[in-house]
Amino acid sequence: MILLDRVSVMYPNKTVALSGVSLHINPKEFVTIVGASGAGKSTLIRLLIKEEVPTSGKIIVGSIDYDTIDKANIPHLRRRIGVVFQDFKLLPNMTVFENVAFALEVSGVSNREIKRAVPKILQLVGLSEKMHSYPSELSGGEKQRTAIARALVRNPKILIADEPTGNLDPKNSWDIIELLLKINRFGTTVLLTTHNKEIVDALKKRVVTINRGRIIKDEKIGKYSL
Amino acid sequence: MTTLLRIIKTGFRNIFRNAWLSTAATAIMVVTLLIMTFFAFSTIFVNTQLAQVREKIDLSIFLSDDATQAQIQELQAKLATVENVSSVTLVTKADALKRLESSSEEGQKLAKSASDIGNPLPASFEVKLINIDNISETNSNIRALAEAKIITDTSFDNRDDNRKGVVENVIRISNSVSRIGLVLSIVFLIIALLIIFNTIRMAIFTRREEVEIMKLVGATKWFIRGPFLVEGALYGIFGAIISLLVLIPFSRAVSSFLIEKLGAGPTLEYFVAHFWIIASGMFGVGILIGVISSWFALIRYLKL
Repeated sequence: MILLDRVSVMYPNKTVALSGVSLHINPKEFVTIVGASGAGKSTLIRLLIKEEVPTSGKIIVGSIDYDTIDKANIPHLRRRIGVVFQDFKLLPNMTVFENVAFALEVSGVSNREIKRAVPKILQLVGLSEKMHSYPSELSGGEKQRTAIARALVRNPKILIADEPTGNLDPKNSWDIIELLLKINRFGTTVLLTTHNKEIVDALKKRVVTINRGRIIKDEKIGKYSL
Repeated sequence: MTTLLRIIKTGFRNIFRNAWLSTAATAIMVVTLLIMTFFAFSTIFVNTQLAQVREKIDLSIFLSDDATQAQIQELQAKLATVENVSSVTLVTKADALKRLESSSEEGQKLAKSASDIGNPLPASFEVKLINIDNISETNSNIRALAEAKIITDTSFDNRDDNRKGVVENVIRISNSVSRIGLVLSIVFLIIALLIIFNTIRMAIFTRREEVEIMKLVGATKWFIRGPFLVEGALYGIFGAIISLLVLIPFSRAVSSFLIEKLGAGPTLEYFVAHFWIIASGMFGVGILIGVISSWFALIRYLKL
């Protein structure tokens, strides 16, 4: 469960990034957030991974109240939320396997467990064949799958996909969206932000529209309208 | 345990990633450690030399053979009250003869002939001084005592100012050696700190992408900082190893020169006897320099 209650983010130069945003997302939901560049989508995501703190308002994810979470526990929070980005954020000098394993390594998972879990998740995203390839040898879609595998390998309750198809051609974009739907069917809450009208309209899932830092629309089965 | 190994592994990998900077960092660490060790050596050397010279410079006060037991006791009591006198020991004529006898083979023969002619060696007081620098003044004060008429001579009168000059020279040299050593050590310490600081800064810069991803996937602060601190410590460890590899053959090569020409035997022995302490000291100082500068770079450039 994700709960935002009248969340506002204001920057020192008086720019308002988010203004009184209230949002409730149930477990296992698939929610698409749409909005123009600068509407506040990225701010919203940075709030959820606690890269940023709201100027006012309350954020609760699962049973964690972001106001009271200990600084030392932020890494543990981030391990429960998987994130993928438009630019993949893969490490170029590591293979697909190593990039995915990296997420487990930083949380102290044993090498044996890594050897067991990584191939499994790579199979899920359809990258078993490319396990030992470097990011430079992959297509955009494959890079994004690697990033998704890395986000999923720790079994997060929530997967946030920030413009995951922004750098991909339509075919690869659909592959990624289908992968996200599959992950959602397995029980992970998926939060997707995108600019792609075609995808949003075809999904027939909940759509939250943000404009100038405010939620202007929140529909159960929504369409892309800006 | 797994985590610690991963941190150390990453620290090693960082070093090889910036090979040139790592080489510079290790080199400056070696120079710094060698300079520190060299000046530690010379300070200990000069101090032992100084101690030996000072030991020899106590004031001997020779007494007339005519002096009565009472006069001698009176003078001894009075000497102890003179300013700058730390202790007074009476060496009787018989003691003096015994000392001569046991001093060397030559001395034995001399002592024999001396005792044959009725022991001409004078009785004396050996006066230890608190501050050797004021030996001249103390000597005059002693000479001025009312009980001083049984004094025939003092070691200071004999030698004029010579020994004092030697002492002054030794003190001056030792002071300037330690001062130069201290200044140079500090200068190189600062250079080492700055260079390692900069190396770690570069490492943070080249790894910023990796750090960002680490944060994203939930690495703890220490997991992110750890490899940089390990990197700093490794420069200290490598520096100490190389310094020892330079130092040991070098000191072997020059040891005969040091012993024969400079009389540095005791200092060398001291160093050999304390080798492990010195070696671990070098490792300790190296690691400390590495970790401290690494830490400052992290505070300054790694925002977590």
